[in-house]
Amino acid sequence: MPDLLAVDGLHAWYGESHVLHGVDFVVRQGELATLLGRNGAGKTTTLRAIMGIAGRRRGSVRFAGAELIGLPSNRIARMGVGYCPEERGVFASLSVEENLLLPPPVRPGGLSLDEIYTIFPNLLDRRRSQGTKLSGGEQQMLAIARILRTGATLLLLDEPTEGLAPVIVQQIGAVLRSLKERGFTMLLVEQNFRFAATVADRHYIVEHGRVIDAIDNAALAANEAKLHDYLGV
Amino acid sequence: MNGRFAAVLPAALLAAALLVAGGAGAQSPDAVRIGVLADMSSLYADLGGPGSTVAVQMAVDDFGGSVLGKKIEVVSADHQNKPDVASSIARQWFDEKGVQMITDLTTSSVALAVQEVARADNKVILVNGAASSDLTGKACAPTSVHWTYDTVSLANGTGAAVVKAGGDSWFFITADYAFGHALERDTTAVVEANGGKVLGAVNVPLNTADFSSFLLQAQQSKAKIIGLANAGGDAINSIKQAAEFGIVAGGQKLAGLLVFVSDVHSLGLQTAQGLQLTEAFYWDQDDKTRAWSKRFFDKTHKEPTMVQAGNYSATMHYLEAVKAAGSLDSAAVIKELKSKPIDDFIIRNGHIHDDGSLVHDMYLYEVKKPTESTAEWDLYKLIATIPGDQAFKRPRGNECPAVKG
Amino acid sequence: MFSWLHIAMPPAPALFAQLLVGLINGSFYALLSLGLAIIFGLLNIINFAHGAQYMMGAFCAWFLLDWWGIGYWPALVIAPFAVGAVGIAIERLLLRRLAGLDHLYGLLLTFGLALVIEGLFRQRYGSSGLPYTIPAELIGGKNLGFMFLPVYRGWVVVFSLTVCLATWFVIERTRLGALLRAATENATLVQAFGIDVPRLVTLTYGAGVALAALAGVLAAPIYQVSPLMGANIIIVVFAVVVIGGMGSILGAIVSGFALGLIEGLTKVFYPEASNTIIFVIMALVLLVKPAGLFGRAA
Repeated sequence: MPDLLAVDGLHAWYGESHVLHGVDFVVRQGELATLLGRNGAGKTTTLRAIMGIAGRRRGSVRFAGAELIGLPSNRIARMGVGYCPEERGVFASLSVEENLLLPPPVRPGGLSLDEIYTIFPNLLDRRRSQGTKLSGGEQQMLAIARILRTGATLLLLDEPTEGLAPVIVQQIGAVLRSLKERGFTMLLVEQNFRFAATVADRHYIVEHGRVIDAIDNAALAANEAKLHDYLGV
Repeated sequence: MNGRFAAVLPAALLAAALLVAGGAGAQSPDAVRIGVLADMSSLYADLGGPGSTVAVQMAVDDFGGSVLGKKIEVVSADHQNKPDVASSIARQWFDEKGVQMITDLTTSSVALAVQEVARADNKVILVNGAASSDLTGKACAPTSVHWTYDTVSLANGTGAAVVKAGGDSWFFITADYAFGHALERDTTAVVEANGGKVLGAVNVPLNTADFSSFLLQAQQSKAKIIGLANAGGDAINSIKQAAEFGIVAGGQKLAGLLVFVSDVHSLGLQTAQGLQLTEAFYWDQDDKTRAWSKRFFDKTHKEPTMVQAGNYSATMHYLEAVKAAGSLDSAAVIKELKSKPIDDFIIRNGHIHDDGSLVHDMYLYEVKKPTESTAEWDLYKLIATIPGDQAFKRPRGNECPAVKG
Repeated sequence: MFSWLHIAMPPAPALFAQLLVGLINGSFYALLSLGLAIIFGLLNIINFAHGAQYMMGAFCAWFLLDWWGIGYWPALVIAPFAVGAVGIAIERLLLRRLAGLDHLYGLLLTFGLALVIEGLFRQRYGSSGLPYTIPAELIGGKNLGFMFLPVYRGWVVVFSLTVCLATWFVIERTRLGALLRAATENATLVQAFGIDVPRLVTLTYGAGVALAALAGVLAAPIYQVSPLMGANIIIVVFAVVVIGGMGSILGAIVSGFALGLIEGLTKVFYPEASNTIIFVIMALVLLVKPAGLFGRAA
């Protein structure tokens, strides 16, 4: 499989503070890769820098062969990158359905509204509700669901399981696996490596603004001690 | 909205006003300075404003540019119709900038405030823009002259003419400050002295855009005459909206108690036709007024109002008095001014009374119909000339200590 | 039981007339505060140039008539586009540079712009204003029994109410409105979904300015077309927006009309206070509900 996303020597700054110090990794077409690491390691910043919404950035981010550094975030989205932020970003002044329909289709091949409601039946029931009246799990579903419509082929998911009950986490895991079957490529930021292990093909360990290790999911068991050391769990 | 901003804004505006007041260019240390303190930017700016500065400068130039061997300089500032701003500027001019005389002084509240500064500093002010007869009534000052017109002469002009023509019941729409109250009071006195009566009045804040509510109140009063005791933009909007609300069509008449030629020009004859008004000066009186007005027009592209012409007259007489007195001393200059008749092509048959009022002929005009007008500024026809003694006569006497019996 | 009230009260028909007149003024407040609310919502800028832009709308109508003989009805369409285009230029060249800074900077910049624009017009056209007549179709009035209602004033109420409701509909019920509301909440995320937010911001500012210009054209036949007309009304409109809740569309419309009514009543019962009553109400509302009547607490 070719690389869909290739990050090379990525630096990023928030104002004066230098957060990413040369991040390198690749995500292949159709795979689900994770960025694992402690709080403050630079995982979320890496996603935001790929999306073009971190502060200043330098280095190279290539998506399907095209350079993203220098492009505004709306152009990056239009190339087929979908973003689901850590804080979920559900809009309070929009209904559930308005939230779902907000991101414009960027290329053909997105899921239809019916397909989305089949995957997330809760959203169908509550489509007239105000977005932020949903439960935390439902809001997370909504945040994922709305980037499936657009035809984006690479999904950037920032800690979709954070703060959710185990049964909801399981549901989200199921959703991610079904998305992979549908051919989506995903980059997942996680703190919960046990959850990550259930969905991912490959894990990148982020520390101090760099990727310091890469572990295939198959080799995860063998590397558990090392992983504990990295993540401090 | 924003506390910091609200706190900073007034101070900034005052500072800006004072900066402008000081910004009169390079100042020679030994010059005779004349200050034009006017509404340069708001609703009265067209009847006085920058045109007043032009008129004063014309007088200085016609006088020869120097007096008693000193160069004459004209400084000007915007008082923003705020008495506190005007007082600050006047004080600074008198105390620090060597200004000898201040003129224009449109807006009665401003003129009354500056008159107190002048009284304290013993400086001359020649009031042309303000109307309140209190300037020469209970607030009269020894070194002030109220030059062009006042509320008494407006009342004796328009007010008396309207009552005599049958308009014997009145309702006032009054600008809610010194000028409006004085005009309402003086007109009421004239109306009652001529056998009319006043049914009511409504006080309207200065610079109101919409008069329809007040016009409806006037309409419901059933008064024959709606007296507009306001001026400038306020008078324009009242007249325009009265037409819209069918006031005149409904049988009531408007009496614009202070309407300037600039207002009539702005309204257009279609709206303003038939209005009677009192003026001290009209550009089209005779060859002399036309010749001077043409010079003024070439500089400003507008015909002069009586305020602007009055500034020319006042400055000219002031400089002649300085020359004759051989001194800039305020008392000496005022004594000189009062010693001779004031009679030029602007102010006719005039003399200055002890209360500071310049008593002179006034004119009752009527605004022409569009069909009667032959040019853009051909706006008035003369109805009557009102001799000074009649125009400035106070039906209830004068409270000025200098003349009170 | 309340018969003593009638002593101080004008007769009911007179009161109706005053309320109607208040409603007319309220429609100008509503139109102007609507534009301000839209701009504040998305740009987070307190657009102090709104009064100057309203004045430019009226002048645009006057220019069209005086220079090219283009009358009121075309002006109602042309002026908002022309002045809106000026607004777009202002946003592109100036306001954009202030993105992300404190409100105070936008306020000071637009306040300065308003002074410059009004100063230039005053320099050229004086302060007493230029006449603009009511279009022939709307001349005259209807006797409603309790008052003589000029047709033009009736038109102003109906037209501005329509524009207000249409604007409300666009913002609350359409996809474009959903984009605007979302961008107001989180512009970064909306842009990360592929929306050209900077362009949306520019067009929104242009639309808010166009609303001001539209109000200016409506006002031209009632008031003189004067460089000062905006400076006189803008402070009141700010108070209306604050009362309604900064950035609240519905708040701007409802409080615009309501305050027109209250001001109208004040003109009957205590006219001297008619230009301060709105600020008194503003102070009271801020004490009780700092976010305004329809505002969401931050």
